[in-house]
Amino acid sequence: MLKIIACFKWVIDEQDIRVDQKSRELIMERVGYKISDYDRNAIEEAVRQQEAHGGSVVAVTVGPPGARQSLKDALSRGPERAWFISDPSFAALEPSQTAAILAEAIKTKGEFDLIICGEGSSDLYAQQVGPALAQRLGIPCATYVNKVTLEPGEKKLTAERKLDDGIETVSIQLPALITVLPDINTPRIPSLKQVLGAAKKPVEEIKKSDLGQDFQPRLETISILGATMERRRLKYSAEAADIKAVVDALLKEGVIA
Amino acid sequence: MAGIWIFAESREQTLELISAGTSLARQLDGAAVVTFATSRQLAEEYISCGAGEVLVLPPLAGGQPLEAYVPAIIEAVRGGDPDIFLISATQRGREIAARVAAALDTGLCSGCTALKLDKEKKQLIMERMLYGGAAVQTVVCSGRPQMATIPPRTFEPAAPQEGRQGKVTELAGVQPSPVKVVGRAPKAAEAVDITEAKVVVCAGRGFEKKEDLNLAQELAQVTGGAVGCTRPVAEELRWLPEDLYIGISGKKVKPGLYIGLGVAGQIQHVTGMRDSKVVLAVNRDENAPIFDAADYGIVGDLYDVVPKLIKELRIALNK
Repeated sequence: MLKIIACFKWVIDEQDIRVDQKSRELIMERVGYKISDYDRNAIEEAVRQQEAHGGSVVAVTVGPPGARQSLKDALSRGPERAWFISDPSFAALEPSQTAAILAEAIKTKGEFDLIICGEGSSDLYAQQVGPALAQRLGIPCATYVNKVTLEPGEKKLTAERKLDDGIETVSIQLPALITVLPDINTPRIPSLKQVLGAAKKPVEEIKKSDLGQDFQPRLETISILGATMERRRLKYSAEAADIKAVVDALLKEGVIA
Repeated sequence: MAGIWIFAESREQTLELISAGTSLARQLDGAAVVTFATSRQLAEEYISCGAGEVLVLPPLAGGQPLEAYVPAIIEAVRGGDPDIFLISATQRGREIAARVAAALDTGLCSGCTALKLDKEKKQLIMERMLYGGAAVQTVVCSGRPQMATIPPRTFEPAAPQEGRQGKVTELAGVQPSPVKVVGRAPKAAEAVDITEAKVVVCAGRGFEKKEDLNLAQELAQVTGGAVGCTRPVAEELRWLPEDLYIGISGKKVKPGLYIGLGVAGQIQHVTGMRDSKVVLAVNRDENAPIFDAADYGIVGDLYDVVPKLIKELRIALNK
């Protein structure tokens, strides 16, 4: 039976971040959290493949204890169980740590046929965890996948990768890992019944001590500052005179000719 | 061998990274710049443009993706022990870099937009965007080599210099990848390349139906520009091809003039147009975030404003 792992990350909703204009510090007081946008597609694709071919889907995340609240959301989207790899030190992980932790946890849990990750996370968008995880597990991977066809009987998959220069179709034996693009599917919106049902699904906790490693960062953050943009922020109305003033200004700027 | 190593998918991107690498090498007391190449001919060109040594990868068998080079690159890097390894941040480059970094257990700065060297510590200080472009993260790499992927067109390509000499090393055969390419469909050439346009007219969700994009087209025509769009217009509504959406995961544009029509100004989109010289935004909602990213903001319905704007531009430009 097909065993699918869908990886997801619980991230700050970037729309809630405010920037102190003077100090450029990020104001995180009232931020909400969400399943990283691209990972919704990863979970959805895992569940669709399971619906088509049978087998099982486990949703997996790494994070500090506070990320526990993500599990209900993830499970309401269809996976029948979750692994929660958690430790207080697992806040603000850099991608090589996340990949190393996932790799160790997946090794301790044993068999799988397919791992699906999003193209990147919506907070860091480093696009490293998927391919780095495949490398650490010693399995083949296909990144930027827009369409996947599984042939569980033959233990293989065919994937269409959407790249800058066109579509590349690849064939890979399972077990394998793919990272998926947002247009591979439209994630379902969980129904109330699914949300309520998610609370009853099993969650297995994996502790740092189960993994027997320290997972030191290889990339260290020196600073995080709000991105600034020097713009004039002049506002005009839709009145004809105002529009003429804007056109005159653009001519003066020398950007239209 | 140490030094600064470079891998890129194309000739153009390799030359851009040679330019970045040689500038770092000068600050590192003339460290070597070592570049990968896929042919002997390219190797000669890279040497003339500043590489000290070129590692020539053997040709791939048919049906092998570029990523099949990963084990060969890992082996070469293990043997050569570079200080710094720069890879072009194309899609394939990003995968290759992530896998090489994982195999070598080192840190990787993805999508590095600026870098400088701390000469004392011989440490790269790298910047990248975070939270969809809302913030800038400055990082250093504590592993070895220090790795970064750098988006194409971040640096000017290196130019050839007279009489430069260098070493060319042929690398041994490449094991076949378990990923087999069974089909390739090259993308049809784009009619317009919005990354090259001097004026970009961007259509957002403020447009009510596909036909109305004619307004954006007409505005682009008058200003000699090209039409782009936000991600939902391409991916959810599918009114325009995906090649035309502007954003952190789409196209990055830096025209002289960017005109956003009915564009809300989500941070992911703004990241794709933030380098525009002048920004004009038209939006009904005076609180739309796009106005914070604009030099000139017109608060109004685009269906009312754009025809007036076109009319005024025709008069001003004698068109």
